[in-house]
Formats: sequence, C-alpha cells, structure tokens
Amino acid sequence: MSSSDSPSSSSAEENPNTKEIEDQLATVVLTESNEDKFQECSSDTASASNNHGENNHDEGVEKSSSKVVWGRVNSELELEGPPSPSSSGYAGGRGTSSASSTSIVDEVSEDEIQEVGNGSAIEGATDSHESWMPGKRHVDEDDASISWRKRKKHFFALSNAGKPIYSRYGDEHKLAGFSATLQAIISFVENGGDCIKLVRAGKHQVVFLVKGPIYLVCISCTEEPYESLKGQLELIYGQMILILTKSINRCFEKNPKFDMTPLLGGTDVVFSSLIHSFSWNPATFLHAYTCLPLAYATRQAAGAILQDVADSGVLFAILMCKHKVVSLVGAQKASLHPDDMLLLSNFLMSSESFRTSESFSPICLPRYNPVAFLYAYVHYFDVDTYLVLLTTSSDAFYHLKECRIRIETVLLKSSVLSEVQRSILEGGMRVEDLPIDPVPHSGSLSPHLGHHKPPTDSPERIKESFGGIGGPAGLWHFMYRSIFLDQYVSSEFSPPINSPRQQKRLYRAYHKIYASMHDQGIGPHKTQFRRDENYVLLCWATQDFELYATFDPLADKALAIKICNRRWVL
Amino acid sequence: MGCSSSLPGRSSGRLGGLNSSESGGVPDAKNLRVKLVLLGDSGVGKSCIVLRFVRGQFDPTSKVTVGASFLSQTIALQDSTTVKFEIWDTAGQERYAALAPLYYRGAAVAVIVYDITNPDSFNKAQYWVKELQKHGSADIVMALVGNKADLHEKREVPAQDGLEYAEKQGMFFIETSAKTADNINQLFEEIGKRLPRPSSSSS
Repeated sequence: MSSSDSPSSSSAEENPNTKEIEDQLATVVLTESNEDKFQECSSDTASASNNHGENNHDEGVEKSSSKVVWGRVNSELELEGPPSPSSSGYAGGRGTSSASSTSIVDEVSEDEIQEVGNGSAIEGATDSHESWMPGKRHVDEDDASISWRKRKKHFFALSNAGKPIYSRYGDEHKLAGFSATLQAIISFVENGGDCIKLVRAGKHQVVFLVKGPIYLVCISCTEEPYESLKGQLELIYGQMILILTKSINRCFEKNPKFDMTPLLGGTDVVFSSLIHSFSWNPATFLHAYTCLPLAYATRQAAGAILQDVADSGVLFAILMCKHKVVSLVGAQKASLHPDDMLLLSNFLMSSESFRTSESFSPICLPRYNPVAFLYAYVHYFDVDTYLVLLTTSSDAFYHLKECRIRIETVLLKSSVLSEVQRSILEGGMRVEDLPIDPVPHSGSLSPHLGHHKPPTDSPERIKESFGGIGGPAGLWHFMYRSIFLDQYVSSEFSPPINSPRQQKRLYRAYHKIYASMHDQGIGPHKTQFRRDENYVLLCWATQDFELYATFDPLADKALAIKICNRRWVL
Repeated sequence: MGCSSSLPGRSSGRLGGLNSSESGGVPDAKNLRVKLVLLGDSGVGKSCIVLRFVRGQFDPTSKVTVGASFLSQTIALQDSTTVKFEIWDTAGQERYAALAPLYYRGAAVAVIVYDITNPDSFNKAQYWVKELQKHGSADIVMALVGNKADLHEKREVPAQDGLEYAEKQGMFFIETSAKTADNINQLFEEIGKRLPRPSSSSS
C-alpha cells in the first residue's frame, strides 16, 4: 500500500440510488438537536495524506503470551504455570475428574454452557439472540460442579474482604470459598505494592479489575483480548454503580465484612443481559451509541418536543427504541456519556416492570456523577419504544408525568411513534443495498485510503466476482463510528453472517482488531488490513471516524480499499 | 446510601398531586382522590395486587419492581362516592428501603403486604408499620394484607396472627389472593369506606 492516492474515481457516472442512501445515512448521523451539526470531515487534507500508513497485517498478530502480566514489574513474585488455587481450582487447575474432558470444551468457540460430553448442540441453540432468556442460569452450581468449571466465560464481583457480590453462574453464597481465593490472589499482589491485571493459564485468561473495595474478575477461555475483557469488567462495575451509586463504598468503610448481595437483589437479569450484550452490541466496545434510522423531519419533530421539555428543568430527555436512540436532548452543558447510555438502556430494557406502568426510580449515571442518584421517569409508549426523563429532583414525578403526556401528544400527532415502529421493523442498513458504484463526494479534500493502482473495475465485475452474496466487493458487514458525535452506524447482519454464532464470532474478531487498533504499545494504528480464513477485516481510523469493514476472505484487497473509500456514511 | 427524600408540597397531601392529566374540577366529598402506597418485602405480591385491582390481570412470572410504579384506579362506593386511588407500587428490594419516604410521604393510605407462606415477610411488614407510625402522615389509613391466601397448604403465618397484630395497631386486616382475585376489590372498597371524608365546607 503506498500513498499515491488520487480521487481519480470521482468521474464515475451518477447512480440514482446513491443520493437516496446518502440521505438516509445523513439522517442517521444528524440526530441530536443539542449537538452541533455533523460536519463533513473534509478539512483534514494534511492528515489524510498521512493516513495510509503501512500498517497492514495480513495475518493475525500473535500476541506474546507471557504467563503473568503485572501492573508493574515486581521481582518478588514468580508465578509458574497456572495459578490454580488449591482450595478452589478453576477448570484445569487440579487433577480432578474434569481434567480429561477439558480439551473438548476448549475447542468450542462459544462461551456458553457445555455439558460434559453431550448436549452442546442443544445448548448451542440457547445462545441465539432470539431465544436468549434473561436471568441467571445454573444457580444450582458451584465451584465443585464440573459443569461450572467448564463454562467458557465467568464474571465475578467480590468485596475486598473476599465476600461474593456477583457471579455469572452459580449461587454467590456457595462461591464464598472461591471468592476468598480470588481475594487472596489480589491482596497478595496488593501487599507487594502492586496491582494484578492479568494471569494467563493455558487457554484461560484471568482478568482483574480493582475498584476501591470492589474487585471484579473475569475468567475466560474465549481468546478475547485483555482490553476487551477489562472493558467488560468496567461495564459490569458501572452497572453496579448505576444501581447503587458509589456511596456503596461507605458501607465497606463502616463494615469491611459488609455483604453487598442483598442490595443487588433482583438484578440478575440486568447483569445477565449486559453480559449477553457483550456478544451482540457494538456499543459495549465502541463506546458509542447508535441511532434508529429516521427521516430528518421525523427526528426533528421528536427533538423539538424533547428540547421543549429539557428547557423546563429536565436534565436529559431520551426517546429510545430498544437500544437505539430516537432522539436525545440534554440540559445546557449536560452531556451523556455513551457508556452511561448503554448501561441505562440495558437496565431499563432488562427490568420488566418498566413495561407494566410508568415508573419513577433512582438511577445513577456513573460517568455523569457516580456518587449521586438522579431520578428517572420511565414510560413505555409501546413494546419497544420508551421515554426516559432524568432529573436531579426527587419530587419531580408529577411534573415529568405532565411532560410525558405533552410529549406523547406531539409524538402521536406527528406520527413519530409509527415511524419508529416502521423503522425498527425495516431494520438498519444492509450491505447488499449499498450502491455498486456510487459517486464519490466531489470534494477532493476528504480522507482517502490509498492503494497503488486504483482498479478500473466495472460495477459488473465487482458484483459478479462475489456471486451476489453480501454487498459490493464481497463486503459482509461494517461499522462506522463518528468520534465527534459518539455515535456509530453498523449494517444489519446479512448472509453469509446469519446465525447468532457467526455474529458472535464476527464481534469477537472486531474486539480483537479494535484492541489492536487502539493498542498503545504498537499502535494506535491508522489502517489495518487483516485476512484470515474467516474474513478480511479492514479498519481505518482518522481523527474524525473509525471504519471497521468485513469482507469475504477471498476479497480483493484493492477492491476492498476502493469500496471503503466510497463514502456511504459520510 | 443516603438519599434525601422530600416529596414536594404539591405532590403530597390527601388529595394527591395537583396535576394528573384528567384532574378536572376541585375534589369534593363525593369524589375523593387519594395517594396510596404499597409497602412490603420483595416477592410478596404487591405488584400483583395492584395489577389485579387496576387491570384485572395476573401474571405469574415474577417481575421485580424497580423504584416504584405509578398506577391509578377509580372505584365507586355504595354511598355513591367515587375514590380515585393514585397508587405507588414500591419495590420491595432492600436497596430501595432508604428511598421509601419518597413514596409514602404524604400518602393517605398505606397498604402493607406480606406473604402468608413467608414469616420473614410478616416481620418485614411489622417493620413498615412502625416506620409509618413514626414518619407517615398522622391520619394515614393503614391496611395489613396477607397475600397468597390461595397457597393455604403452604401457610406459615396463621390468619389469627395477622388479625391480632393489625387490631393492636388499629389497622384494617384482610387476606387476599392476587392469583384468584379473592378479596382484592374488597380490600380497596374497605379502604375507601374508611377514608375520612372532607367536610364539604372545608377548603
């Protein structure tokens, strides 16, 4: 790849589809009435020419696999081999009856249930997004259960006294011994003035995150990068703070043996739904939110009435459909972090009671203010569409109820709600609908991925070479994140990425390449082209956006780059 | 978690918040509007009682209430008064206990619910009674409700215990089943009868 790019393909003929699709995309991006207008990123000529670095990785980069990675070097400590604690050895640690079948489990690329020797086909079905059931499963298990040890991905929260707070699988109270062991590992390292981050033990990674008196641990053999797993622990901690605020720390100051589990009573569904979203919701690692595609006028109508309400003393007014934002308005200078949005919508969607009737509940936004509750008025307009009005005032219920009635009247009158329903049914963008050969934007100042020879391919050749599967040039999927807007757009899954299993695998691949793009050691990278037996992944990061595109593994590199240079989203 | 909890003047008081949408005229002795709060341990069936009363529905799948849900229902009494209940169905989870005053402050009626199959929930009910006697409105009407009365084969709290405790505290007592709808309407009708009637000359 060299930097001899020239926008030479700008002479292509007009495609009638192009304009329409660009309009749709523009409205996806142009959402927030409290944000400045989205700016076409056409002012970075200087950086554009530097954006075609030679950071190609045609193969997966194998990370060094040191057994133990400490926060900083501590010569006192020498761990050899798997650090399996003898009292509660995690799978593969002790020579128990489970040892012989461990390898079977490790080869399966799912992190869900694997019963010993059988049942994986049946259980695999429970993994699909459609049939996924919220709530904790396998409460009957504990660390002595073979099935428990074979789970591919565990999440734990415990107190710095070793008391269990949360476990993805199994009853927390039965895991007291196991929690105490984790606590011992963490405090052993802490006593040396150090901080444990990661332990590798064979195929397992044990990731630690210390948040004051609360410890979070992930034990996983899913081969996700450390940064992804740590990010997931951060979100689990954030979800706890959303429910309880950081003033939970005071309970531990008063009583180190404080048992936090009763305070999280009834929230299993919230955490299981968050953990599930790690494998389907790009917001969990892109740290951006996504919008429901709507016509400009429709979103304007929704934004106007929300703005009206925000002016009357509401801190944030958010209209959402599932996990997608319809419109979001904040009071002056108040901004909502995308992670807060993710945690809030996860909390609201997983707690069934909000659907039953209007509610008024204390909620903490960890990135906004981790020590104080806000009050959330929540009302579902239909099964998917809900309004959240956040306020600092605990006595605002009747005011917010009135606001909701006003909003509802406007939304019905301007048929926003029916448009929202229509949009959610239609779904988002599909790669196969992308124009084969759209007209690039006329501006020659836009960033451009370079390639030595701009191929002179006819649309027909692009289409024919991939037998109609996916989009142009074998494009299977993409995600585009606008850094300025904290928003992303991703295409719907289409063939050949059909099954939830394939989707999850793709997201895992995105996790990896996202971590690699943002790696502080060897990166951050501007571009990456990575081919393996499953996909071609092409990533492109500028100061304005990040693009992650997945192609057929046999896709032509030049064509793939050419496609990415077409500005579907911009 | 320290939560300041003050309900505003305008949403407190016998006649409820000033402004639910359909508030038409001035409430009078024949058309009462009252704020009612349900309290009790988690899982005793508070939401089920409310949904049975308001919507005539029963959903056996347990849905944990978050914070508090707000519903309203109007009933007509035999003496031709109507009572509009503005119901705060609070979450029974421990983390919301500190926030309960937010919801019961200014309530004219408190319905304290326990599960007849669960003695712990009966203890928790007594805790709520004491809390309301200390911090609730002075003339609050309180009802003690033993729910899940259909599960009589699993009963662990004798009806007599509930009745005796309620009498001692000057409360009204009833056993209900949200599942079979047994005594649900009776509960709210009885509350309606016991409400003090504003004298027609008062403001």
